[in-house]
Amino acid sequence: MNRRDSMLRSISKIDFKQAKKWEKELNKCIRCGYCYELCPLYKTFNWESDTPRGKLLLIHGMITGEIKPTQEIAEKIFQCFYCKNCVDNCSAGVQITDIFTDARADLINADFDVEGTTARVNEDICSVCGMCVSVCKSEALLFTEDEVGNRRIAVDRVKCKGCGLCIATCPSGALSQKEGFKVSPTELEKQITHFLRGNKNARIVVFCCNWSVFPGLQLSELPTLIDTPYGIIVTMCSGRVTPELVLHAFKEGAWGVMVSGCPPEECDHDGNYKSRRRILLLKNLLRQLNIEPERVRMGWFSRGESMKLKQAIDDFNDKISKLGPVECSSTVSYW
Amino acid sequence: MKVDVEKLRMIVGEDNVSDNITDLYVYSSDASVHQAMPSVVVRPNTVEEVQRIMRYANNSRIPVIPRGAGSGTSGHTVPIDGGIVLDLKRMNRILEIRPQDMLVRVEPGVVDDDLNRALKPYGLFYPPGPASSRIATIGGEIGANASGVRSVKYGATRDYVLGMKVVLADGRLVTLGSNTRVHSAGYQLERLIVGSEGTLGVVVEATMRIVPIPKFRCLAVANFNKLEDAGKAISDIISSGAQPSMLELMDEIGIKAVNKAMKIGLPEVGAIVLFEADGNVKEAVDYEMEKMKRICEKHNGFGIEMSYDKKERERIYAGRKKLFASLSRYKNGIICTDLADDMGVPNSKIAECAKKIHEIAKRNNVIMAVYGHCGSGVVHTKIMLDPTKNSQWRDAEHVIDELYEYVHSIGGVTSAEHGIGLSKAPPWKKSRNDIIPVMKAIKKALDPNNILNPHKLMDAPDRWVTATNLRYQVKS
Repeated sequence: MNRRDSMLRSISKIDFKQAKKWEKELNKCIRCGYCYELCPLYKTFNWESDTPRGKLLLIHGMITGEIKPTQEIAEKIFQCFYCKNCVDNCSAGVQITDIFTDARADLINADFDVEGTTARVNEDICSVCGMCVSVCKSEALLFTEDEVGNRRIAVDRVKCKGCGLCIATCPSGALSQKEGFKVSPTELEKQITHFLRGNKNARIVVFCCNWSVFPGLQLSELPTLIDTPYGIIVTMCSGRVTPELVLHAFKEGAWGVMVSGCPPEECDHDGNYKSRRRILLLKNLLRQLNIEPERVRMGWFSRGESMKLKQAIDDFNDKISKLGPVECSSTVSYW
Repeated sequence: MKVDVEKLRMIVGEDNVSDNITDLYVYSSDASVHQAMPSVVVRPNTVEEVQRIMRYANNSRIPVIPRGAGSGTSGHTVPIDGGIVLDLKRMNRILEIRPQDMLVRVEPGVVDDDLNRALKPYGLFYPPGPASSRIATIGGEIGANASGVRSVKYGATRDYVLGMKVVLADGRLVTLGSNTRVHSAGYQLERLIVGSEGTLGVVVEATMRIVPIPKFRCLAVANFNKLEDAGKAISDIISSGAQPSMLELMDEIGIKAVNKAMKIGLPEVGAIVLFEADGNVKEAVDYEMEKMKRICEKHNGFGIEMSYDKKERERIYAGRKKLFASLSRYKNGIICTDLADDMGVPNSKIAECAKKIHEIAKRNNVIMAVYGHCGSGVVHTKIMLDPTKNSQWRDAEHVIDELYEYVHSIGGVTSAEHGIGLSKAPPWKKSRNDIIPVMKAIKKALDPNNILNPHKLMDAPDRWVTATNLRYQVKS
C-alpha cells in the first residue's frame, strides 16, 4: 500500500452521532496495548494504526475533533474480522468492536466509500441466487433493486464482519474481499504452496479458525510453521475452507488436510456446519480421484484446546504417515 | 524542522515510512497521559538502516524517538519535539539461543513472551517479565530497566544484560559489554544504556542472561482485614530471610475494581497478599511457603490458599494479573491514570507508605489504589480521576507533589521499574539534583546535538501536566 496516496479525501464535518456515546468509554481505555497481542490485522501489517488500540485512538480523535476523518482512517476502521480477541484481552472491559461498528455507521452516513475487510459483490457475474444471503448470520447481505428494478445483492458494510462465509459459498465466485488481509482464496492458496514447497518435511495442512483455537495456539509453546510436518493456515472462520483449497493442498503435495473449527453451537457464523457438509461431499469426490477419503479430517476445538489440537494433529500425522504420499496428485490438477 | 521523508523512504523502503495523519496520531501517545505528534514514523529492519537513519537525523538535527510496544506509562516515547519515531518492532528476530552458555542474543523488537516461548523447550527462561510481557519488547524493557512480579527473587532487566550493540546518535555502531557472565574492563557501558530511555543510543541487539525454569512453583494467597497488617507481613517476610519468588500486595480498591471488571468474586477484604516460592527441590519450596504462611498468620492473615497446580495458580493469580486495567472500571466517569505509579520504598516502610497514600488521595479528592511487587519494595498506585475536569488535574499535581515528598523523606525512589519519561521527571529532578549535571554531561558526550529522545528524564519540563497536550479532552 502506498501510504502517500492514502489521503484521497477528507471530510471535516461529520456528526459522529453513534460513536459519540462511547466518548467516556474511550477514556476508560488505558492504552496498555494488550488488545493487539493477538490481533490478526496487526500481525498482518505491523503498524500500530492497525491495532485495536490504534483504531480506538483514531475514533477518539475524530469524535473529539482533534483529527479530521480521512479515507485512510475510514479504511482502518473498516478493517476488522470481529474475532474479538482484543475484547477478551481488554480487562478494562472496553467493548472495542461495538465502538468500531458505531464508528463505521457514522462514516457510512457521511458517505465514505470504504471496503476494509468487508465483502464485495461483482455484479457482472452475480446470478442473484441468494445463497450468500441465507448463509450470512450477520444479516449483512440482502436482496435489493437497482434503479430499473433489477434484483441485486447488496452488502451492508456496517454489519459485515468479514468472516468470508459468503465468499466460500457463492457458486459464481461473485463475492470477494480485498487482497492483502491473507484471507482471499488466492492468498490462502499462496500460503499453502509456500508451506508445502518451502518445508522438506511438510505433509499436513491444518486449516485453523481464528475464533476458537488459533489464539490459544499462538500463546502455547507448540511449534507452528517451523520444521514441523504440518503447517497452520489461518482462515478466520472454518466455513471459508472451500473444496478448492483442500484440493489445492493435495495438488501441491500434501499427504493430508485437517480442518479445525469451533465445536457445534460455538461458531459465531455457523461456518463449522457448512465446512462439515463440504468436507463430507468432498470425501466422495476424493474417492473418484483415487485419494483416500481419510486423508481429510475435520475436528472441533474450543478456545484453550491447543493441546487437544496438537494431539489430534499428531494422531492424524501417524495415520497419514502410514498412507504415505498421494500417489496420483497430478490428477488433482485436472480439477 | 523539515524532515526529508523521501530520504527515509530510500533507506527503509516505501512501506516502512509514514507521514500520514493516521499513523502520526496513533504514534503520538503511549500508555501515559501525554500526547504529541511526531513528524514521521519509520520502521527499520536492519542495523545498517538504523545507522543510516541516525546519520541523517544527526546531520539534520532531527529528534529520533526509539519505540518498542508503546506500553510505557510515563511518556518515554511521546515525541515532545516531533521528529522521527523509530518503531523497532520489525527487528524481532531471536538471533541465537545458547543453552550451554546460558545466554540469548536478540534484536530489540523481540516480544518478551515470544522469547520465553522460544526458550521453554530448552527448559530456560528470561525472568524480568513485566506485567505487559505479552507485548513489551526487549528493547523497551532495556530502556526502562523494566522488572515485574518476580523481581523480588530474579531482579530487573539490568541484572540480565550481558552485552549489547548500540547505534549512537551519529550513526556509529558500538558493541558494549561481553558474552561472559562477568567482565572487568572499565566502564560498564551496557549498564549505562539500561534505563536510559532511548536518550543515549538505539539498542539494535542485546545479549541477555537466561536461567533454568524451576521444577516446582507454589503460589498462595492470604487475606487481611487491614492494609497495615498486610504491609507488616510483607516487611516481615523479607526481613525473615525467606526467599519468595513473588510477593504481591493488592488493596481494597484494587480488589473491588477487579471484581467489577472481571466478576471473579475475590473476597472484598482490606488487602490481599500473594506469595510464591520456586525451586528444584520440593521440600525447599515447602519450607519457604510454610515460613511465609506463618508470618502472614502472625499478622492476622486468613483464608490462606496454596497450590502447586498450574491451573489453580492461574486462578489464584487471575485478579492480580488484570488489576492494572481493571482499575478503569472502578467508578463511572472516573478513569485510571498512570501517574506516580511505581515508587520504590524500603521494606520496613511499606505499611506506612500504603496508609499515607490513601490519606493523601482522600485529602485531594482522587481515588488511589495501592498494589505492587511489595517484596522488592515496588509500590504501584494509580490515580483515578475525572479527566474532563481541570480541577482534577490540579488535584493530581498536588497528590504527586505530596506523595513524592513523603516517599523521598523515607528514603524511597521516584520510579522502581517504569522509568521517568515526562510525568515523573519533576519530582525526580527535585530529589536528585546532585546527579542531574552528571547525567547531562554523559548525554552531551554521547549525543551532542540532543537528538535522541530529547526533553525526557533530566531534560524534561518542570511541570508534567503542561509538558504536552493531555490525551483527554479537558472540558471545564
